[in-house]
Amino acid sequence: MSMRSIPGIHSHGKTDLPVLKPFNARAAGEADDLLFSRWLVSIPGYVWFMAIIGLVVGPQFAWAATSYTYSDALEALVKWMPFIVKSGFLFNVLISFFAMLIGTFLGVILGLMQISPNRFIKVPAQIITQTFRNSPWLVLLFIVLLALPFEMTIAGVTIRIPDWMKAVFGLCLPIMANIAEIVRGAVQSVPSGQWEASESLAFTRQQTLWQIILPQCFRRMIPPWMNWYAILTMATPLCSLLGVEEIITLSRQAIEAENNRPELLVPFYGFALLIFFAYCYPIARATLALERRFAVKL
Amino acid sequence: MLKKIVNTSVATMVTLGVTAASAQAACTNDVWKKVMERGKVIVGVKADYKPWGYRDPSGKIVGMEIDIAQAMADAMGVELETVAVQSSNRMQFLEQGKTDMFIATMSDRADRRKIVGITSPAYYTSGTNIMAPKALGFKAWEDLRGKPVCGKQGAFYNKVVTERYGVNVVAFTGNAEAKQALRDKKCVAWVYDDSSIGSDLASGEYDAFEMPLSSEDDNPWGLAVPLAERNCVFGNFMSGLIFNMHQDGSLIALEKKWGIKATDYLIKQNAQFADWLK
Repeated sequence: MSMRSIPGIHSHGKTDLPVLKPFNARAAGEADDLLFSRWLVSIPGYVWFMAIIGLVVGPQFAWAATSYTYSDALEALVKWMPFIVKSGFLFNVLISFFAMLIGTFLGVILGLMQISPNRFIKVPAQIITQTFRNSPWLVLLFIVLLALPFEMTIAGVTIRIPDWMKAVFGLCLPIMANIAEIVRGAVQSVPSGQWEASESLAFTRQQTLWQIILPQCFRRMIPPWMNWYAILTMATPLCSLLGVEEIITLSRQAIEAENNRPELLVPFYGFALLIFFAYCYPIARATLALERRFAVKL
Repeated sequence: MLKKIVNTSVATMVTLGVTAASAQAACTNDVWKKVMERGKVIVGVKADYKPWGYRDPSGKIVGMEIDIAQAMADAMGVELETVAVQSSNRMQFLEQGKTDMFIATMSDRADRRKIVGITSPAYYTSGTNIMAPKALGFKAWEDLRGKPVCGKQGAFYNKVVTERYGVNVVAFTGNAEAKQALRDKKCVAWVYDDSSIGSDLASGEYDAFEMPLSSEDDNPWGLAVPLAERNCVFGNFMSGLIFNMHQDGSLIALEKKWGIKATDYLIKQNAQFADWLK
């Protein structure tokens, strides 16, 4: 007589009882919401080391023929660095910071609207989210920069809206939509049993959401939220196409002031690459560290 | 009944038309008054077009056009504020009122006159030419037909040479990128202002290159005030200022100061406008 088969040991466990399954942020076939951070962190350190070496040494051989040497170009970069960082990169950070702030605020509202039981709130929220998630960022930027006035008069006071502020509004739209999806996904990842349990304990829907569901979601939302911040920061040079004064616009103007020597392209754009990396890499590392810490231990 | 409606609407349209026409003719001088009230004139200038308008390492915009703007602000008795503009947005900024006027290396073209108030006389002219490797030995514009030529985005002559000579223009956002592409042999020539190419060749870093063709489309550069004020205080003031700068030779002096190759146009204007009581 064969041994009695025990479910869960001899075969895959099967039950019709409600079982709380562990939260898996990345089910098979699902997109990785931390792809960008994972990619950034996965770049081995020696690549960056070699990139710096390549920037400093490599081109000296390539352009040895011209009278303008590569060290002249590096000297020019050092001369312009304070201006490029202070009036340029600082604005990239400022734009990303405010776009994230506004985008998060609007995104949370939009995300909660998406899980509303009321169809008249839910459906428009879904349409808005999908529209802004799937529009090219540059197109949104163009529309906002050209549509917004350069100054507004509110109650007799004229306020000038600087270009970087308009860029903030343009970039916060796709961020808003993506944060909305993070919020919706996080809320829906909480097992429905908790909704039912709190309902049986006479919590109202509002109480359940604010006191039971959202506190659990918060930790789950932090890593993808930071991932989007890094993506947003990397996207801020898009504004240079619209003449907003940021690192790429000013690098180009600096190259112009240095007589447009082609030798300047590699050091100036290479510097922009490195400074973005230096800013985003720690964020990506922290994102993955937080993700590991918040992951459900099995 | 119907006739009455038609009559009324025609009458209204006529009235509206007359009002519109007279509004165009009457000078309100809104922008001029605003500048005077503000005590500051906001001028659109280039920040990426050495030596007409570019940045010094502290971030300040300097150049020949900024000097003209300063002379203007001094004559108006107001402060000068410069705003960096690009070829693609300079006219929009003026239309929106973000700038009060602009001096931004713009060629005076018929289609542009419909949008902004370009005043004459012009303060500079330039023609179109190419920088090409000597080895290719171009002799005429026709030699470029069907070949890839690097250009700068927003330049009007990109379209002109494309239509006239069938040149295949590959446009870049910056001059450095375009010249690098020329060195990398991605294109056979770099089409640009003849004065700029002239100063590049004079720098001695482009020994293998030449400016082999005769310049085309010698085009005046126009500064612009709001279209409605072209024939009002602002436009007339700018015409007078530039006239005086031609007459007293200060434009020629500025050209020298910024190391721009002397242009025949400025010398000719200086002679033409010369004071008869000298």
